[in-house]
Amino acid sequence: MAEMREEIREFILKEFLPGEPAESLTDDVELVSSRILDSLATLKLVTFLEDSYGVEFAAHEVGAEHLDTIDRIVAFVESRKG
Amino acid sequence: MILEYTEEQKSLRETLLKFARQELNDDLESRDREQVFAADLWKKMGEMGIPGLAVSEEYGGGGLDPLSTAIALEALGQGCWDGGLLFSLCAHMLPCAVPIDKFGTEEQKRKYLPGLCDGSLIASNAMTEANTGSDAFAMTTKAEKDGEHYVLTGNKIFITNAPVADLFVAFALTDAEKGFHGGVSCFIVEMDTPGVSCSRKIEKMGIRTSPFGEISFQEARVPAANMLGGEGAGATMFTHSMDWERALLSAIHVGAMERLLETATTYARTRSQFGRPIERYPAIREHVARIKAHLESSRLMVYRSADRLEKSRSVSQDAALSKLFVSEAFVDAAERCIQIHGGYGFTTEYKVERVLRDAIGGKIYSGTSEMMINIVAAWLGMGSGT
Ligand SMILES: Cc1cc2nc3c(=O)[nH]c(=O)nc-3n(C[C@H](O)[C@H](O)[C@H](O)COP(=O)(O)OP(=O)(O)OC[C@H]3O[C@@H](n4cnc5c(N)ncnc54)[C@H](O)[C@@H]3O)c2cc1C
Repeated sequence: MAEMREEIREFILKEFLPGEPAESLTDDVELVSSRILDSLATLKLVTFLEDSYGVEFAAHEVGAEHLDTIDRIVAFVESRKG
Repeated sequence: MILEYTEEQKSLRETLLKFARQELNDDLESRDREQVFAADLWKKMGEMGIPGLAVSEEYGGGGLDPLSTAIALEALGQGCWDGGLLFSLCAHMLPCAVPIDKFGTEEQKRKYLPGLCDGSLIASNAMTEANTGSDAFAMTTKAEKDGEHYVLTGNKIFITNAPVADLFVAFALTDAEKGFHGGVSCFIVEMDTPGVSCSRKIEKMGIRTSPFGEISFQEARVPAANMLGGEGAGATMFTHSMDWERALLSAIHVGAMERLLETATTYARTRSQFGRPIERYPAIREHVARIKAHLESSRLMVYRSADRLEKSRSVSQDAALSKLFVSEAFVDAAERCIQIHGGYGFTTEYKVERVLRDAIGGKIYSGTSEMMINIVAAWLGMGSGT
């Protein structure tokens, strides 16, 4: 789980926050309201999560509720992995 | 990725090409001039099950996979000169019938799909608003929950098929604060719902036989059972629809380019100037060769993105890439075809000028070329550009 958390952090930093220090992206940074995740970034992140962890987001699950912070993302992916 | 058709794909292609050539070209010049949607040709397509080609068989569809759907649409595009009619077909099937099939409840599928597949119902996808086109999720149309209904209020513009539609697949805000991230929902709205009206038919430059218009929802009460994909599913639904539209509408353009190539080569062979057929002149040969190069690359891109639909969300990149390339290749091919025809090509009698007018819209609808560039760049890791 810790490994997954770091992979997700690394992906977000690399894709959407190039050049930002890793420390600035803590587990509770709000990705949606801070506009780090705009529409295209969100789709890329969801694709990454689905491809990397074999989970599937239902149509209504692609939203702030499951994607707003690294904590929420990890919780959602964990709950789906069973 | 296959490069050879299966036996079924071959016979599908032949049947639809023949059908389109024989049945779908009546009276086009005057219909284009008068902006008339061909209800009779739509009916003929319905009898063949064409409006439901990509829908599951159990609900009356053809059950084709996306690649076979691309091959079918390409054949129609090759055989039929009526770009507007085929655009209406795609606007009906790709962002309406297909999402109902993929995301609808059993009840929604049973109620709407058989009619959508046999063409007795016409559907229309309603997203764009007067102030929100490329930035579609900044919409203002809202849907407020009231008991077992949602009350829709707002206006949508440039809605293909609206003047002839029986139902809309419409997007509205169910939570303005969340916006793209779970705040937009999708509804199946029947045209005869009180408060729904098509307020204006809009004239346009090309694809004129495909009607489009402005629709208005004035406190239209839509049953909660008509929500498609669950509350907040709008972003996924719309992305899915756009992927399908970008990948598969382009198949029509590939077919049309094949038709342009046939027209161009035939004319170049039969038209003589300076005592020789113009096909001998290098400048003319270059036009033809470039149309062919565009056609073949477009076909490969369309087949590839069609084949990847439903396999990964990253198909959004392939679909955007092929939409960007094919729509521009189509405009280029139409211009070259007119050029080969000289003065005759510029007249309305020679039908190639209409293809150019039809083609230009391809760089705007389903997301503009500029937005396709943003999507491709974002997938290449360059940020969203907004
Ligand atoms: C023939 C036709 C049929 C249509 N059918 C439908 C339909 O059935 N349903 C529906 O909902 N809509 C439909 N539309 C609407 C269509 O989707 C929009 O017109 C399109 O998305 C562009 O929006 P807009 O017209 O508001 O232009 P704008 O978004 O205002 O764009 C104006 C210009 O700015 C550029 N631009 C905007 N943002 C950016 C950016 N971030 N980066 C770079 N450039 C940018 C655009 O590319 C364009 O060149 C249709 C349109 C046409 C022409």
